[in-house]
Amino acid sequence: MGTPKADLMWHGQPFADRIARLLLRSTDGPLVVVAAPGQDPPKLPREAVVVEDGREGRGPLEAIAAGLRALPDDVVAYVSSTDVPLIHPSLVRRVLSATSADVDVAVCETEGRLHPLAAAYRTTVLPEIESLLSADLLRPMKLFERVRTRVLDASALLADSAISKLDPTLASLLNLNAPTDYERAQALELPEIKIERFGTLRRSSDEPTTVKAATLGAAAQAAGIELDQHIVAALNGDQITGEAAVPLVTGDTIAFLSADGGG
Amino acid sequence: MSTQDTAAPPGYFGSLLEIDLSQRTHAQHELPEALLRNYVGGCGLGSRLLYDRAPAGVDPLAPAAPLLFVFSPLVGTPLTTSAKFAVVAKSPLTGFINDAMCSSHFAIAGKLTGNDAISLTGACAEPTVVIVDGAGVRLEPAGTLWGLSAAETERELRESLGHRYRVSAIGPAGERLVRYATLSHDGRHAGRGGLGAVLGAKKVKAIAVAPSHKVASADPEHVLELARDLRERSFGPATAKYRELGTLGNLLAFNAISTLPTRNFQASQFEGAQRLGAEELSELREKTRASCASCTIGCEHIYSTDSGNEMRVEYENVFALGPLCGVDDPDAVLEASRRCDMHGIDTISAGGTIAFAMECAERGLLPAPWLRFGDGAALLRAVDEIGERRGLGDLLAEGSKRVSVEIGGGSGDFAPHVKGLELPGYEPRTLQAMALGLAVNPRGADHNRSGAYEADMSGEHDRLKGGSPHVGAAIATEDRAALIDSLILCKFLRGAFEEPMREWADLLAAVSGWDVTESELETTARRIVLTKRLFNLREGWVATDDWLPERLLAEPVELASGRSGELPPARLRSMIDSYYDSRGLGPDGIPSTQTLAAHNLDHS
Repeated sequence: MGTPKADLMWHGQPFADRIARLLLRSTDGPLVVVAAPGQDPPKLPREAVVVEDGREGRGPLEAIAAGLRALPDDVVAYVSSTDVPLIHPSLVRRVLSATSADVDVAVCETEGRLHPLAAAYRTTVLPEIESLLSADLLRPMKLFERVRTRVLDASALLADSAISKLDPTLASLLNLNAPTDYERAQALELPEIKIERFGTLRRSSDEPTTVKAATLGAAAQAAGIELDQHIVAALNGDQITGEAAVPLVTGDTIAFLSADGGG
Repeated sequence: MSTQDTAAPPGYFGSLLEIDLSQRTHAQHELPEALLRNYVGGCGLGSRLLYDRAPAGVDPLAPAAPLLFVFSPLVGTPLTTSAKFAVVAKSPLTGFINDAMCSSHFAIAGKLTGNDAISLTGACAEPTVVIVDGAGVRLEPAGTLWGLSAAETERELRESLGHRYRVSAIGPAGERLVRYATLSHDGRHAGRGGLGAVLGAKKVKAIAVAPSHKVASADPEHVLELARDLRERSFGPATAKYRELGTLGNLLAFNAISTLPTRNFQASQFEGAQRLGAEELSELREKTRASCASCTIGCEHIYSTDSGNEMRVEYENVFALGPLCGVDDPDAVLEASRRCDMHGIDTISAGGTIAFAMECAERGLLPAPWLRFGDGAALLRAVDEIGERRGLGDLLAEGSKRVSVEIGGGSGDFAPHVKGLELPGYEPRTLQAMALGLAVNPRGADHNRSGAYEADMSGEHDRLKGGSPHVGAAIATEDRAALIDSLILCKFLRGAFEEPMREWADLLAAVSGWDVTESELETTARRIVLTKRLFNLREGWVATDDWLPERLLAEPVELASGRSGELPPARLRSMIDSYYDSRGLGPDGIPSTQTLAAHNLDHS
């Protein structure tokens, strides 16, 4: 691609920042970002903990191990690459929920291909990964053979009503490996975002109720609203934020409201 | 007209007027400069005066219990929103400290009687009006005023005394000792905690004040310059919500973020909210806007009711009498609100107690089959019965805490109060800094002394996962509230300050001449918060009083996003422990000796 994928821009936002923020939207955290040794950390949200990949060039297992080491014991982590700007929180949640007491790894599969960087790993598999790495067995398939792995194929994923509604083509799993992939993805239509305005921001009933935008800042701009210390946004009725970099996806509703809740 | 006593610092008279209603005597006591500087005025000074002057363990409705009108250094200056006063007493609803505030001309006229505070103790033999003016203090029979609403009383008294008199009065509910009766001035209320009942117990219908003194500022030109600047800022975006829609602008926004308490906190979204939102109602019903004296914001939005009356509409009265009671009929909600004003009762406590009673009735714990969520007629009947202490209203006039004790049946778990004060319209499960603020607040469940919702709504932390950032935010907002309520300025102006404590220090310095700094005011704020805690401690506070109703800790609320607002007891406990630690309190919530010494406080 000529540029580290993490630094590629997605409608004004670096890939790494977007993916990291989308994972924060999808989980309760913590968020660990694995960088190549010596790599300048890309722009990331403040919640991100950056760790270095143990040994560069040894494939995803090495990076997965570095990430899992930075997490608390016995939690389940969603692992993502940084080249999936269309990742949707509904898919992340579905994959995470596919692990259980009997399942150590839940991994997506499309067209017969497993996606080890679109998978949930229990941190308890770390010794198994380290054992494989020390034996120079670097293919994730080796891990999947040794631990209790559940494969989620397209039909399993699309059985989830949220995914079938919000990501029906499973664009979440679309890796951008070549410049043409990147160009094609960028040409895709931006997600449609529902806009709600409250208080003094509701000026007339004929204001647009949807905009197309990849980030909160872009949505605010499209809605003619200036995000400042007096105006905040609630994402899907949940988290309140004034951060323009918050990534948006299909199905999102943004409520713009006064930051002053005094009454 | 007398000029300011030169012994007192500018901005003050250095005087407390104490009126003994039983003896029909009065005396002026000097307020030392150190006391004024340590507590500033308003709620701060009032808290300290109450601590010093109320007999320990006094029954709030007994003659010996003082009720204090307390003014502040900024009153009488051209600073916008400064025409406010505090009323401080031991609450008959909570048994703890109660400091309520009210606005407008009474603040100016009251201070210009030449006093920083007026204390009423004792009780009159007959219904009485207290008059303070240049001629001194007079106690006159209330006569036919007894039984009138506060607004009618005020109107009649000003007609008879003259329009330079300003009046604070109680309604019939105060006369009947409804434990959440208000004290009112010009349609505004020192609303929470039952101050109207304290005055009613003293058989005082009203206090009328007329200016007889002047007060100077240390640096009038600088004060004027600061006032011009603040006035300009008061027209800016920080106050737009208040100016354009009023506080009712909260309602639909709060509904969208699942923080609109509904049906006695059984839900955090109300399906009928749309009919009650300011965005809709203002187009259909708004008649005019109004301001307190000396205010450039103009937050008061006057709506018409279907009966042809006019009504000041605020978020809290619509929330409490609407969604909290499951009522979505704007006519019923506005009329209930108007009747609360007419009787002279706090809309939040009235709505909270009625919503609680509706749930009790639906569960068969109260023999009131007529009282059901969503029934506007039942709401109106309940308001009237409370105001008149008639039928079921005689019990509901005691507030939800006492009602739950009376009827039992596990109702205490869903009685919506902290320390006896009914919860305001901020859902603690989805605003968890606010949850802490409500739990530990000396006044009880109160959104004005703890504005921690500010932090929850800033996006700086996850409002659904209370932790250490929430503790810091709750303390900071509590400190800012303690200070702004002592200066006094309106909280609706707070967003116009970039560095509040520093800017407030500048204002106070310009008025008083003190070399007061941001750091000094931060200490002052903490001292005020601690003083309130000390008062409560003396009056029987125990650590379990700093807690939330069981319902809020046991029943999650669902959000549109699919997450739930859940506040496990261990999380609240952890936040409270951290709050105690940060405030210099022991694990039992009692200030340490070192903390007391650091704030020039003494408590035995």
